[in-house]
Amino acid sequence: MSGEHLATRPTPGTPRSYEFPPFSRSRLANGTEVRVVDLPGRPLVSLVVAVRRGATDEPAEIAGVSALAARALSEGTERHDAIGLVEAAERLGAQLHASAGWDSTTGGVEVLADRFAPAVELLAEMMLTPTFPTSEVERLRDQRMNEVLQAYADPRRRAEIAFDEVIYTPDSPYRRLLGGSRSTVPGLDSAALRVRHASWIDPGRTTIVVGGDLAGTDVLGILEPLFGGISPVAPVPAPAPVIAASAVDRPLVRVVHRPGAVQTEVRVGHVGLARRIPDFHAVSVMSAILGGLFGSRLNMRLREEKGYTYGAHAGFDLRAHAGPFGARAAVDTDNTVPAVIDLLGELRRMRDTDVTPDELRAAKDYLIGVFPLRFETPGPVVGALAGLAMNELPDDELARYRPGIEAVTVADVRSAAETHIHVDRLAIVLVGDADRIATDVEAAGFGDYDVVAEDLAPG
Amino acid sequence: MPAPHVDFTYDRLPNGLRYILAPDPLAPVVAVNIWYGVGSRHESPGKTGFAHLFEHVMFQGSAHVSKAEHIALIQAAGGTMNGTTWLDRTNYFETMPSHQLELALWLEADRMATLLEALNQENLDNQREVVKNEKRWSYDNQPYGLWSHKLQEHLFPPDHPYHHPTIGSMEDLDAASIDDVAGFFRTHYAPNNAVLSIVGDFDPGEARATIARLFGPIEPAPLGPPLPEVALPLSLGGEVREDLVDRVPLARVYLGYRAPVFGDRRLHALEIAGQILSGGKGSRLHRRLVREERIAQDVAFFVMGFVGGASIAAGWATVRPGVDVARVEAAYLEELDRIAREPVTADELVRARALVETDAVGALQRVEDRADQLSMYATHFDQPDRINRELAEYLAVTAEDIRAVCAETFPADHRVVITYLPAADATADGGGLQGAGTEDAA
Repeated sequence: MSGEHLATRPTPGTPRSYEFPPFSRSRLANGTEVRVVDLPGRPLVSLVVAVRRGATDEPAEIAGVSALAARALSEGTERHDAIGLVEAAERLGAQLHASAGWDSTTGGVEVLADRFAPAVELLAEMMLTPTFPTSEVERLRDQRMNEVLQAYADPRRRAEIAFDEVIYTPDSPYRRLLGGSRSTVPGLDSAALRVRHASWIDPGRTTIVVGGDLAGTDVLGILEPLFGGISPVAPVPAPAPVIAASAVDRPLVRVVHRPGAVQTEVRVGHVGLARRIPDFHAVSVMSAILGGLFGSRLNMRLREEKGYTYGAHAGFDLRAHAGPFGARAAVDTDNTVPAVIDLLGELRRMRDTDVTPDELRAAKDYLIGVFPLRFETPGPVVGALAGLAMNELPDDELARYRPGIEAVTVADVRSAAETHIHVDRLAIVLVGDADRIATDVEAAGFGDYDVVAEDLAPG
Repeated sequence: MPAPHVDFTYDRLPNGLRYILAPDPLAPVVAVNIWYGVGSRHESPGKTGFAHLFEHVMFQGSAHVSKAEHIALIQAAGGTMNGTTWLDRTNYFETMPSHQLELALWLEADRMATLLEALNQENLDNQREVVKNEKRWSYDNQPYGLWSHKLQEHLFPPDHPYHHPTIGSMEDLDAASIDDVAGFFRTHYAPNNAVLSIVGDFDPGEARATIARLFGPIEPAPLGPPLPEVALPLSLGGEVREDLVDRVPLARVYLGYRAPVFGDRRLHALEIAGQILSGGKGSRLHRRLVREERIAQDVAFFVMGFVGGASIAAGWATVRPGVDVARVEAAYLEELDRIAREPVTADELVRARALVETDAVGALQRVEDRADQLSMYATHFDQPDRINRELAEYLAVTAEDIRAVCAETFPADHRVVITYLPAADATADGGGLQGAGTEDAA
């Protein structure tokens, strides 16, 4: 076998120019914003209706009401029962969906362009005229109760839950389960869901985004009669201020006991950042180098050098308010402490030394180069435009992304790490077999330390 | 809406490499995809997990590429990549900004030609540990994590190559030596056992020349004889049952059946049956078990297509706390029995077809997915044009086709039933779960 003919590495050709697809903005009669992006050759059209109101401003005692209300939208409308609605959509080859996030609530549909109008009509019906039948809401509530049990039994989800519980103060919504807990869900009845739903009927906070091959489709003509006439059913109170404060002021360790676990799910981090920050591009590059790329420092150390894990990652969950920052890996039980030591070492090194010019170049080239790949199809384009609206970011934010990344310097990355990685108050959450790891973890002296039970029947 | 159509060419180099070119300038991206005709079914006893371990080694460097550099070069070029291993095949793929096509081709050629020049014990040992952690992460440390292994074990006899899971066993992974890995490469990794597809924004003339230059000089391998005939009857000769106790809060019943092989028209009908049984909240199983009787938390039914003797049709229902596991299983089986007896309704078929049509367009949207499908049809059938015929095959399925394949597939002596029961100290309501004493009929 010989490979002489492969001795010379190829040189790249000339990059084809790329711009994020241009979009138009308009408003329906009631003020609802509409963004349309025509993508010729993309017959599967994506539409999203996004309301800038999510789970963060729920009263704590009814946490999960947004998620349950979104889930219950399809349980029946003034015209159709649940089965009638889903069957009508399926005859169009469409599946309607809706979900609530922390900062926004969205409904949407993906449908072939020639069936767009009737599919959007069904979506509007679902989003605007749900009936929240008592019996179906009860069933969804029961299902959510069981879902929480399953989340607590899943080591990855258990680790996320424990991590949020440790890092946020008790009055922060981000400490809660987005879908509600076993103590709040029983209180979510049809009346509570109706109140929540009414708060979404708010043209001033609603953006509709449509993308795909729209030749011959009168998007505004279709949307106006469906969404242009709605008005708030009652004055919608402004959302309450959101608390995203850190509960941690020194290093600490929480071990969640999972008897017999052959791996430990490791989470290390703290309260992170909001999406709207001046150094967004520097933070993006820094995260990529630390734990975003396959060749990131964490993955190279923990996976490619040590073999402790199938993958190690880190990043900021950027929300309207400060979301979590965390490094994560699942490591075999016996290597728990060495893996945590390496992970902490990489977090410190990110702050204490400059990245190399090669690391910087590789990360920037990746983020810049992969950008067009991310937006090959209508769904991600529509999602990104809705994201802009929900985060109240300027129209040219996506067009500015690649120049913004290109401008990041070694000093910018260092500054981002020094400013946003807080090694003096890292929370370490370990979901694993405490009988095998607790002694070593305590002896390692990572910080204040406690062990909690597995808790398969959480309150 | 006209059916989506992919224009392509299909050629073969003198060394046996088959290659497919499907230019499409819509987006400035290009997908490169290679399927090798080797999967876990080609592993010999005592060497389970090798095909997948080997896939990891393929990212550890070759004559002109150092350890981990393959992925670093792709990412620094603004591309994405991965590899996957399954029972019948192994695939490797990159999606690149279009001006970086040659880099991806060169990386694939270099490891096809020269992998063994870079293979060393340290890298093998490292990836062995990574793969063992992948096994723990994906299966051993997951609730209900072993269900697919159990289905394979019971659906296929010990001497059948689908009897063992692709991830392999810890013992066999521990035993893998450099010689084993080198032997695996020499036997299976050669141009005459591979299909290369390029889809997206590129010039086909240039690509043809580049392929000839980079892959043309690679020597073909004397491939071993084809695997022996492994066709299996759909019947297991009797129902097989196994109960497992795990740290799960809700019991779950898994069902498995042998199904017609991938490429058999009957499998299309079975997939449509799957849509009618469990696709969305209007489906039969969801409607009855989740919505109406409210005995299940969730339900699923799906098909995994394989070419070596039989596919797998499988499903599950997660049992609500306080509900008798046997009742859920019985209701599920009644629905399988019903779809095997009575034709589905005209409206069910209309809805399933409409969803299949949307899915077909969605599945061909991205260059990466198109390239994977072209490689798949060429590898399994030497017929990449199946990519343009599949939708019509699905739409031609009749209510009688569905009934017939369900009647063939679902008799009682064809099924495996795996029941996960919560450990006594892991139940939601203080251990009061009913049905934990389900009869073991095996």
